[in-house]
Amino acid sequence: MIEHDFDEEFVPIAAELQRLPYLSPSRDFADRVVARIDRLQPAQVAPVGASRHLELHQGGQQAVARRRPLGVIRATGRATAGVALIAAAAFMFFEIDVLTAILSAAVTQYAFTIAAVGTQIGAVVLGSETMAYLQAGAAQAALLYLVLAFGLITGYAGIRTAAQIAKRKAA
Amino acid sequence: MPARSYTDVSDQQVVVFAQEGREDAYRELIKRYERPVFSLIFRMVRDKETAEDLAQETFIKVLNNIDRYRPEFKFSSWLFKIANNITIDHLRRRHVDTISIEGSPNAITAESARATAVTITSGGESPLEELESREIGAEIEKAIARLRPEYRACIILRHVEDYSYDEIAEIVKLPLGTVKTYIHRARQELRQYLGDLR
Repeated sequence: MIEHDFDEEFVPIAAELQRLPYLSPSRDFADRVVARIDRLQPAQVAPVGASRHLELHQGGQQAVARRRPLGVIRATGRATAGVALIAAAAFMFFEIDVLTAILSAAVTQYAFTIAAVGTQIGAVVLGSETMAYLQAGAAQAALLYLVLAFGLITGYAGIRTAAQIAKRKAA
Repeated sequence: MPARSYTDVSDQQVVVFAQEGREDAYRELIKRYERPVFSLIFRMVRDKETAEDLAQETFIKVLNNIDRYRPEFKFSSWLFKIANNITIDHLRRRHVDTISIEGSPNAITAESARATAVTITSGGESPLEELESREIGAEIEKAIARLRPEYRACIILRHVEDYSYDEIAEIVKLPLGTVKTYIHRARQELRQYLGDLR
């Protein structure tokens, strides 16, 4: 019985609350719960290929599937496509000369390649979990750098265009 | 492993047996708490199927993490804490604040509403007493159903489960002052809804 810490008016209600009956779930409730307690289930061999990131468990009950270096190929492909799009847009809208475009494309592309190779080396040296942690912050930083780089290129193109217009007018 | 009797065995000791992987210990913990946990959840969600699902989720979560149980706390407090978290999360997802005593908010037909309505069982009184008890019990259930979910959990833990304010604060993860306020307001509201009981 709990201590009496309420006014007299609540006493009959408190008494009724204490008399509220317990309600029962279905009869097979315990069986359904026990069926989903991991420790009580017999060990099962996971089918190879069900997940690409299988881990080595004690006793080697689960197969280990090595990750394919698809990440590097994908990242390089995406970087190339991105640079090509930016270059096309720059040619069309800002009249950037070819040398500037090639240089910025090369810098951007090398940066992505270096980043991709660095990630793979980092995963081997530091472990994939550490790299995932570092990448979570690095993704934001990379986005910031990309925005800054885009701003610089756009600014430079704008200044060149203005200079060309001024030259034409002077001529 | 032969099944053993858990009569007079404390929760903490049963948990130790469960941690050793004994199925009968898991079943004993379920047997001891399935009704209190299911009742708390049912009174909060007012739908039998949902309450069963949430109670099942509670036990699965607790029993799958039995190794993380810290014996300095009451096992039941830990269990109610998980049950409360799971139920409040469910209510928040569904944006359900008040519940109907006449049946589940999910009930489509009158039959399903009747099936999910609260049924109060009596404990060996005379037919007249039983009828009165049923009526009062139903009124109390109705009044609890009108409370905010946070008030509902606190008042049930205080007056049905006999927990102290400190234990309730630990279970519902709220400051002690907030818990006292919730219980005070819940009592005021219950008094208001149940004026005739006074």
